[in-house]
Amino acid sequence: MASATYLSNPKVTINSVDLQDMCSAATLNVVFEALEDTAFGSTQRTYVSGLGNHELTLTLYMSYAVSETYATLSTLVGTQTTVRVQPTSAVDSATNPGFILTGTYLETLPVLNASLGELSTIDITFQGGAYTVDTTNP
Amino acid sequence: MKYRIVSPRVGTPGEIYEPEVWVNIGVLLSGGFIVPAEDVPQEDDKPAKTKGKTKPLREEN
Repeated sequence: MASATYLSNPKVTINSVDLQDMCSAATLNVVFEALEDTAFGSTQRTYVSGLGNHELTLTLYMSYAVSETYATLSTLVGTQTTVRVQPTSAVDSATNPGFILTGTYLETLPVLNASLGELSTIDITFQGGAYTVDTTNP
Repeated sequence: MKYRIVSPRVGTPGEIYEPEVWVNIGVLLSGGFIVPAEDVPQEDDKPAKTKGKTKPLREEN
């Protein structure tokens, strides 16, 4: 029987700062670059794993208030940090794994993205870093 | 260096913040999430020096 997952409460921390209540979308792609090793005699292309090049994209509501989005990110742009996302805010477990990117790089920070009559949101992307999964309760 | 939590985004305000090794403390300090805990003994504090050497007490019989 097919089952579907509906996630509405993922936990998001950036440099240990919890931004769950400012985040409306999160996508973590675990990517290992494909290196082609197709050779003479092959009848189809084949690949082996290259370097990991993982990527986390977040949509965040922008706020310039104390301890909010801008304060969290303004000094992280152009640096490496550690980010963590989890399906729910419950403790780590096999059914609620914590996905961690350590030493991931924030290249771009849109400091202003405003439209009349709308809440300001920004999309940011963390690139690279070491990918680990934590399933143990600390 | 010890820190105290200010923002609930990093923990319970007022409690001592014990950062993981990978946390960029400068970002948290400049963002006002934590402050140095001046009332908490710091690990790098040295014990106060005592003046001179203490002479052993002479036992009197």
